[in-house]
Amino acid sequence: MIPLPEIDPPLINASGILSYPEVFAAFESAGACLGGYVTKSVGPREKPGNENPVVVYPPEGAVLNSLALPTQSAEDWERDLEEIRLRKAKLIVSVYGGDAPEFAEVTGRMSRFGDAIEVNLGCPNKEPGEQTIMESIGQNPALSAEVIERVRDETDKPVIAKLSPNSDYLAVADSCLEAGADALGCGNTLGPGLAVDIRSRAAILAGTTGGISGPALKPINLRMTYEAYSRFRCPIVAYGGIETWEDAVEYILAGAGVLGVGTAFMRKSTHEAAALTRDIWEGIQEYLDGEPMSALIGAAHRAAEGGGHA
Amino acid sequence: MRSVFKVVENRRESEWTHTIFFDKEIESQPGQFMMVWLPRLGEKPFTLSYPNAVTVKKAGEFTEKLAALEPGDEIGLRGPLGQGYPPLKRPALIGGGVGIAELRLLALASEEPSFVLGGRTADEILFYEEFRALGPVHVATEDGALGHKGLVTELLPVEAESYAVCGPERMMAACLPKLPAERTYFAVERYMKCAVGLCGQCTCSGWRVCTDGPIFPASTVAQMDDFGKRRRSKSGRWEAV
Repeated sequence: MIPLPEIDPPLINASGILSYPEVFAAFESAGACLGGYVTKSVGPREKPGNENPVVVYPPEGAVLNSLALPTQSAEDWERDLEEIRLRKAKLIVSVYGGDAPEFAEVTGRMSRFGDAIEVNLGCPNKEPGEQTIMESIGQNPALSAEVIERVRDETDKPVIAKLSPNSDYLAVADSCLEAGADALGCGNTLGPGLAVDIRSRAAILAGTTGGISGPALKPINLRMTYEAYSRFRCPIVAYGGIETWEDAVEYILAGAGVLGVGTAFMRKSTHEAAALTRDIWEGIQEYLDGEPMSALIGAAHRAAEGGGHA
Repeated sequence: MRSVFKVVENRRESEWTHTIFFDKEIESQPGQFMMVWLPRLGEKPFTLSYPNAVTVKKAGEFTEKLAALEPGDEIGLRGPLGQGYPPLKRPALIGGGVGIAELRLLALASEEPSFVLGGRTADEILFYEEFRALGPVHVATEDGALGHKGLVTELLPVEAESYAVCGPERMMAACLPKLPAERTYFAVERYMKCAVGLCGQCTCSGWRVCTDGPIFPASTVAQMDDFGKRRRSKSGRWEAV
């Protein structure tokens, strides 16, 4: 297995959040405590994604989005990533395609820019008439493994298989690790879910349904992290409802070594978002109290196992 | 949060421009924006021209439908969003085209405003009489039908203690070197998707216009290499401004 690059601090943005290299550079300049940045998922062909509205946020702590993987062409992404280099933070390029050869094609083009490649196996959104990647690939262990195998052939960078919480994710993870993935991403947004406007009697999202993120996702992906760590003891990049240092510590104890922040940036200016990442990282460090973070990754399992034997 | 309101009046301002009034006033800072939602059609950013209205120029399917709403129709609104103007002292409010509409609430909130307005023709100079009651109004029209014949930038510089500029981006870019870096504010526009700082779609040189803006100080705008030059389209591909 190829080790993940050192992401210091071990905080990143979630793919589809912030999205573009010039936004990452602005966060870096504003002093964000993000040791790495993940691009929007790069696809093989230009695609506009769904019409607006693409986001709805009921007050209960769930945010639904239905962007449906808008992307410029891989060639245009190459030009973008040549133009802007980050000063210190690592760059993770997220990739997707309609099938394994397309994932491989995009990875081949993007590999030289990334310190790691994240393979989007779990996007639950689609434009009308499409099938979601989650349905067409991410819920199928054999097809997911085929994607990872082809991606593996195209890059010598570490490969993160980002899983859908809406799948038999341990079976998918097993196949992906077998096929050459170096780490697991736990995980994508959940669902998709639905929001209806009762006055106009219409689904609010133009894409009808949307992947669920924010606090509502946290217990689900925390469980995925916990189970994946328990079974595979592999590097895990965790995402889902991380808004405070306490959320991040929960994920670390469950088994994550890198934490992704996404929905928590909602309605925050660059300076406010940067301050949030500093608060999370300072809180984690105070909690660690001098211990290396590696000592706490998966500590909840040791407690459970120790408890069981006592 | 998103709420649906009833349209109470559709006021024709010009051949291309209508003000759509709805049944509730929204408290916002001048310069903040609302995402206006027409169910089953789309959602786009607009700045309020009245506490209970948006002024819209017909320029495509969405704005045609919005400008055609009638009393009793429903309109969805999400906001107010983003950063507005700080309180301005004795400002010159510089507007081009439908950007003039955004200056109305700012003008009412400012002491001793003056106005520098531009458009293709006299019809595009929105709220002309109302603004004249508030302070001096300088006008430039491309066809010379009202005021100076030519571009609004040809009326600059004007004497004022602060400046606010809202209009087509190339007009604003032409204003930038003619105004002081301090006490000047620009209303930057980009294609928006989420409008709450998540998706990054509305980046202008890395600033997310929806949450860092849409109102930016000139000192920040001067650092935006993309301002006046290029913007990301719906897919993220660059296009010329």
